[in-house]
Amino acid sequence: MFAEENTGNWFESLGHIPTEYIAEDTYVGDGDVQRGPNKNVRDFYENDSILHLVFTPRIKPGVLRIGAEWERFSFGLPHGAALPDTLQSVGLVMGLDMQFSDSIIVRAEGQPGVYDTEFDDLSWDSFNFPFLIGGTYIYSPNLQLVLGVSVDIERKYPVLPAAGVRWKIAPQWLLDAVLPTPRLQYEVSKDVSLYIGGNVKQTSYRVPDDFGDTHGIPRLNHTILTYSEVRTGAGLDWKISNIITATGEVGYQPYRNFDFYRADVRYHQDGGAPYGTISLHGAF
Amino acid sequence: MSVMKPKILNLQRHFLVRAGSLLLLLLALRLGLTTARADAVSDLASFSIFGKVDLAQLAKSDVKTAHGPPMSNQRFIAVQSCYVASGSPSQQIEALRRWDPTKHRELKVFLHSDLPSNPTAANFEQLKNAPGNSSVRSLVAATQKLGPDLQVSREEAKKFSAGAGGGAMPASVAAFWADVLAARAKGFVSGGMSAQPPYDHAGSSVRASDEVNGLLRDQGKIRSQFSGLLGATGIGRGAGSLKPELYWELLDVDDQGVVTLGASYNRGGAGGTYQAADVLYYASGGYYVALTLYQMWPVTVEGKSSTLVWRGDMISAVSLGSLHGVERLASESVMMKNITKAVAFFRRDTSGGR
Repeated sequence: MFAEENTGNWFESLGHIPTEYIAEDTYVGDGDVQRGPNKNVRDFYENDSILHLVFTPRIKPGVLRIGAEWERFSFGLPHGAALPDTLQSVGLVMGLDMQFSDSIIVRAEGQPGVYDTEFDDLSWDSFNFPFLIGGTYIYSPNLQLVLGVSVDIERKYPVLPAAGVRWKIAPQWLLDAVLPTPRLQYEVSKDVSLYIGGNVKQTSYRVPDDFGDTHGIPRLNHTILTYSEVRTGAGLDWKISNIITATGEVGYQPYRNFDFYRADVRYHQDGGAPYGTISLHGAF
Repeated sequence: MSVMKPKILNLQRHFLVRAGSLLLLLLALRLGLTTARADAVSDLASFSIFGKVDLAQLAKSDVKTAHGPPMSNQRFIAVQSCYVASGSPSQQIEALRRWDPTKHRELKVFLHSDLPSNPTAANFEQLKNAPGNSSVRSLVAATQKLGPDLQVSREEAKKFSAGAGGGAMPASVAAFWADVLAARAKGFVSGGMSAQPPYDHAGSSVRASDEVNGLLRDQGKIRSQFSGLLGATGIGRGAGSLKPELYWELLDVDDQGVVTLGASYNRGGAGGTYQAADVLYYASGGYYVALTLYQMWPVTVEGKSSTLVWRGDMISAVSLGSLHGVERLASESVMMKNITKAVAFFRRDTSGGR
């Protein structure tokens, strides 16, 4: 280190705390899952709601990320299905974006919180702390490479690496191939963009103590369910104002998996379903 | 898994490049013994983001860059850098004046030309020879539509008349910009930035002088350090006592062609120090205003005359206003990267590379 930096008043920016938010809802039409050759759960819908609010003040080491997020999956399951009809999480968002050089930015972010079903019988076992560490290498203004790792000790595979690329192919075309929402985007105008892409979700939840007893499989009591799904579709981003962007997306859900992996019970996709998403999001 | 997706503002512009010329010679990188003037190092620490500088290490390294302090206005970004270059401050200034950025395609400066003290439309004739690339085509299209992103005044917009013409830039478009640029350059000579018409063609009114004053207001120590120089220039005020060196350019900002007007000033101080300022006081799009300040101190490195250079780059751009969090961090990173690149090009041009 040959030049130490003067601290300056980095907290002056706290006068206005930059904030980002998301309010999103997705409805997935009737789909099917199957366990083994004969145990099926047919024609159930899904509703996925997300609220996300994160403050992003600038501090000396970088950009702090502090806030909260709530997500709830609701499934319209037929009677007798050995699956929870609600998966729900609420937790803090705690992270930091750090610049290591003029080419490398690193994000470390955790989401400590409660990952459960109905929240009616919470215990410490419902607490989890998934986190990620990801780095972006800024090769040029038009090309960035992303490498990261996601850690969730409750997941079947606790550590998952991922890589991606963000490439501005042409003035109006952007390939944003970064998980969990890879996209190919076309900018119609300054305020409107069209895209095709995907959304990959995987989260682990604790089911209640008596879940197995009430659903006919006792070994599912108090176990972990890792729920995964993939959505692929096309959408439109409309920047309504500097702080509000509306997104509408429709598509097909080709993959879904309910995995009680510790109890060796797994329901996998047997029939995909169409979906639609509406979202309001932005930053100010 | 979620990892960051920075949105990048490409700030490749000539103002980032010109200051690179302050790195005149490369010999300092081979030098071992360094003798620093304590007053230069402490002076640097007194107003810049860089506190304690090890001059010997700095002399052996590339340019050191850092984020400027947080700014109150979302449109503003500032980056500071420092380095040691061979030669005296006056030699650095002279090399900066002579350097031609158009030789480097990566810098995306398509046309560059100095202007006389009494500029006319004829000084912008090169516009007719603009290259036929997508950036220039976007400028031509924006001009012909008089789109909302075009940064001109209402009065200037009224003067555009579409006409036929071939080439990358049709004659009617070239003539329009030649008239606008000549009038604005004349206005700068006579009345500094205060005499510049606002950007109000699209509705809200933005004055470049207000923007540059806002940039300086957010950086009190720098404003204080350069108050003497800036007070004698037309930067953010009326015409000053110092005579500017004027120039214009056609360049690329975020894949859009932009015509821009610039002015450079420099002044020697006590003990062989120099201060310089380079302002882009008009741009047809991409950014409202950009300012680069330089402070140079003579130092001795391995018994040879060298210069400790501090530079501060600051910019106001409407597109920056929509960047938050990591996107803003990434934009600053790109700006720092461009400064480093510009310095490297200058180094190659003026000293034959490392």
